[in-house]
Parts: sequence; structure tokens; C-alpha cells
Amino acid sequence: MANKNKILIVEDDVNIRNFLVALLEANDYQVVTAGSCKEAIMMFTTHVPDLTILDLGLPDMDGTFFINEIRKEWSAPVIVLSARTDEQDKVEALDTGANDYITKPFGSGELLARIRTVLRNSRRNCELGVFQGGKFSLDNLAIDYDTRRVYIDGVEIKLTQTEYNIVCVLSQQSGKILTYSAIIKAIWGSNDEGSTKKLQVNMANIRKKLGAKPGEDSYIINELGVGYRMKDKND
Amino acid sequence: MKLKNLIISVTTLLVAFLICLAIQTWINAEALIPTVFVLAVLFISFFTKGYLYGVVSAIISVLAVNYAFTFPYFQFDFTVYENIVSAIAMIAVALIISTMTTKIRKHEAIKAEAEMEKMRANLLRAISHDIRTPLTSIYGSSSVILENKDTLSPELEKQMLKGIRDDSKWLVRMVENLLSVTKLDSGNVKITKTPTVLDELIDSVIHKFKRKYPDYAVKLQIPEDFITIPMDAILIEQVLMNLLENAVIHGKGMTEIVLKVSVAFNKATFEVSDNGCGIREEKLKSIFSGMYGDTKSTGDNHKRNTGIGLSVCSTIIKAHGGEITAENLKKGGALFRFTLDIEEVNYG
Repeated sequence: MANKNKILIVEDDVNIRNFLVALLEANDYQVVTAGSCKEAIMMFTTHVPDLTILDLGLPDMDGTFFINEIRKEWSAPVIVLSARTDEQDKVEALDTGANDYITKPFGSGELLARIRTVLRNSRRNCELGVFQGGKFSLDNLAIDYDTRRVYIDGVEIKLTQTEYNIVCVLSQQSGKILTYSAIIKAIWGSNDEGSTKKLQVNMANIRKKLGAKPGEDSYIINELGVGYRMKDKND
Repeated sequence: MKLKNLIISVTTLLVAFLICLAIQTWINAEALIPTVFVLAVLFISFFTKGYLYGVVSAIISVLAVNYAFTFPYFQFDFTVYENIVSAIAMIAVALIISTMTTKIRKHEAIKAEAEMEKMRANLLRAISHDIRTPLTSIYGSSSVILENKDTLSPELEKQMLKGIRDDSKWLVRMVENLLSVTKLDSGNVKITKTPTVLDELIDSVIHKFKRKYPDYAVKLQIPEDFITIPMDAILIEQVLMNLLENAVIHGKGMTEIVLKVSVAFNKATFEVSDNGCGIREEKLKSIFSGMYGDTKSTGDNHKRNTGIGLSVCSTIIKAHGGEITAENLKKGGALFRFTLDIEEVNYG
């Protein structure tokens, strides 16, 4: 038997859990489940899954507690299930160490795609360690980390220092959503009052330079109220 | 707020003083002078909050009239009987006007709140009515499938499962609207506005729309500049999504949807228009009230035809302090327009 990816589902609602188990098993994943935060931590430490799907609203504790706990030792990816209304929860979960979120209600195709992306990214990061030097390419976009240059269709795109840094940070974790504060911290170090605006302005320039038009497919996807994400190769 | 009140008071008094000076030097009609000041006090009492500014202005006016414009000029004299009377009159005017304006303001606040409450009640009524149909179908179909697994033809089973999925999808849309409204926390209609980049908002909306309705294209007309608008982005996204969806679902014969944004005088105007069948005149008036889901003629096909989406839009826009209107276009089709202030948000 092939080496199946193991997924831990942490969800207190039995119907959703059943549907997730059925969906994931049908798609050739090995599945373990937990219905509370405590149980989840126990299951995680015994089974060490490749990926965790985590509902934030658990009966005993908030799901972010689970992320905090496992992040002390493990880097295995976590996808958070969240209700639509609480952007703040999403941001908090991502800043705590979740890798992605998906909004309830979601379609099965959407969830499977997210799982594939997150698993692929975590594998890639394991193999290569943290990116240093080398090249990044996505559709017609190419980034040369050594010379700090960005190309589209082989033509160099002139970016400012800051703009390049932002593109670089996003590309190094392509497929993963980075919150505003995570990007700001990576670029400017500290997070003061004007930084979000600074980031927005830079982002607008980057999008323009990369030829993005509203509503059309672009390299950088904006997640309103949460952050930005560089498109993944297989999105 | 305090600063604004102060500015209003000081400027008004200054203007009054200058007018009186002019009257005294050029037309020599001193009887007019107290009248000018009464007018000034009236104005101040009306446009400032509370009693303080009106009363203080009244006192200052009395002093000014006494000091500068009545004999003996440029000294105080409170022995003259008419000076004291005019002082009392002036203060009385200030008090009365202030009381009246305060009352009117309170009344208006209560009225706005009541309207909000009414809207919410309408919405709930409409929703509970509408939610029942898809729930019945989901409940019924799933029971039938579970209990008659062996006798159902695969075709029928598939059809029913599809029905379940479609009805749930519709419920999802409904719930999203409901959530938006509950976010507008009762009593406190204020929402948290964060500066949102117009481009990003539109980008996000169009992406979502495309995912849901891949067969329809939206023509965009938006300014090139970098524009941020203070708003609750998720709620405004919902408004735009509802308007676009309405064009698809209700605009019979529609072949083109246009989303246009323009900016002028610190206001951003959003317009969603289509070239479909337009809105029936009798519906146009109450289209945002959540009441028009014509319950009489509700055939089953009509169940998806409620005004909930629009009353949600209206609630959201009103909570933002903007306005939303609907009209029919001369060349056919409907146009929905709403405005948002661009003015920077006041933190704290």
C-alpha cells in the first residue's frame, strides 16, 4: 500500500466530521478525528498527522490553543475552518501559526484543493529548508533571488527595494496566505500606525507593475481584511 | 465636536459684531443692533450642542451691546433699565432655542433607531418565511432517499440529491445575508470602518462573482488612482455581491452588467446596472424595505424572489452613513447606486 497522508480532523459537529471523513477517505487520505481541543492534542501527539483540519469553535477551548500547543514542537500544517463573520479570528489563527483557512460552508472541491496545496508546500519547505538564493517561477513570472530581479515573460519589471522585498516574502511562501501584520513585520520590522497604508500603497504599485486588473487572474491574490497570498503553481 | 461648537460661536459673534460696527458707522440705525445679536444668539443656540455655547454667547452679546453700542459708548452701564431687560431676553432666547434643538435631536435619534428596528423585524419576517421552503425540500428528499434506498431509481435519487445541494446553496446565500445584518449590532448602529483599497475590494468582489457565475462578465469602470475608502469591507463586499447577483437572477434578458465607481467631493459613488427587464414601477418604491417579497403571488418559482438581499444592502449602507437608490434606465434595465464617504476615519 502506498504511503498515505494522515489527516487529523478536529471538529465537534458529528455531521460535518462524518462528511469530512467520507470525503477524505474517498480521496485516499488516512483520517483520524477528535471532537475537543484536549482530545485533539492527544491525538496529534500519538498519531503525528501530516495535516490538521481544525475547527476554531470547540466545546472545551478555543482552537488557537491547539495551534499554540503543537507549534511549540511541530511544523505540520494546520488548516482552520472558520465562520465567515470573524476576520479577526482568521487573522489571529494565521498569526498563531495556522497555514490556511477555509470558510464555512465550503465545497468539497475547494477543501481538497487547499489540502493539496498546503501539503505540497510543507513538503517543499522540508526538502529545501528555507529558501535562499535560487529562482522562483510561476506562470510567466520569474524571480531571481540572487540578483533581486523580477521578470514577466523574460522582460524585467522595475520594482523599488520595498516592492521587491514584499514580492520576495510572498513568493517564498507561495500558496500560503500572509496576514498584513506578518508581511509588515517581515518588511519593516515593526508595526506602527501607518504601516498598513504603506503596505497597501506598495501593493497597489506592485499589482499595477505586474499588470494585474481587478477581478482578473493575477499572481498575487488579495484576501480582503486578512492579507495577501502569492498564487501557488497548481492553483 | 467641542472645537466645532467653539468655532461656530466665535465666528458668529465676530460677524455680528462687525455688522453692528458697520451699522453704527454708516447707517446709524442703532435700534437694529440688539436684533443682530439676538439673531446671532439664535443661530449659535441652534447649531451648537447643549446649552453652554448659547448662554455664554448671549452673555457676551449683552456685554457687547452694553459696552460698545449703547450710550455711554465704550463703558459698561447696568443702571439703565432697558439694558437689564435686554440681557434677560437674550439669555431666555438662548435657553429656549437650545432646549428645542436638543429635543429635536433626541427625537431624530429615536426615530432613526425605531426605523432600524423596523427594518430588522421586516427582515426576520421575510427570512423565516423564505427559509421554510428549501428546508422542507432538504428534509423531505433526504428522508425519502434514506427510507427508500432499494426502490428508488438511481436517476430519481440523483435528482433529489441535486435538489438538496441546490437548496443548501440557496440557504448559504441567505445565511450570509443574515450574518451581515447581525453584525450591525442592535442599538449601536456604528460599525468598525477600516481604510480599504478600492481596487482590492473590486478585485475580491469580481473574483467571488466569477466563481459563482462563470457565464457572466462584469464590465468595470473604476478610477485609476489609489483610493482608500473607510468601510467594513466584508459588508460592502456583500452589498456589491447582492447587487450583481440580483442583476443575474432578476434581470431577465440581461446581457451586460456594469459596475462603475466614481469619486467626487469626498464621496465615492458605486453603480451597478444591467440591461435586463428593469424593476416594476410598483415595486420600485418599497424595494429596499424587505417587504415586497410578494407573498400573495408566491408560486414556488417565486420563492427565490424576495427583497431580502436588497434590504440587507440598504441596512448596511445606512449603517455606513451612505445612501442607496434604485431606478430604471431609459434604455431598459435597472440601476442601483450607493454612496460612501471617503473622509478619513476618526480613530478614537
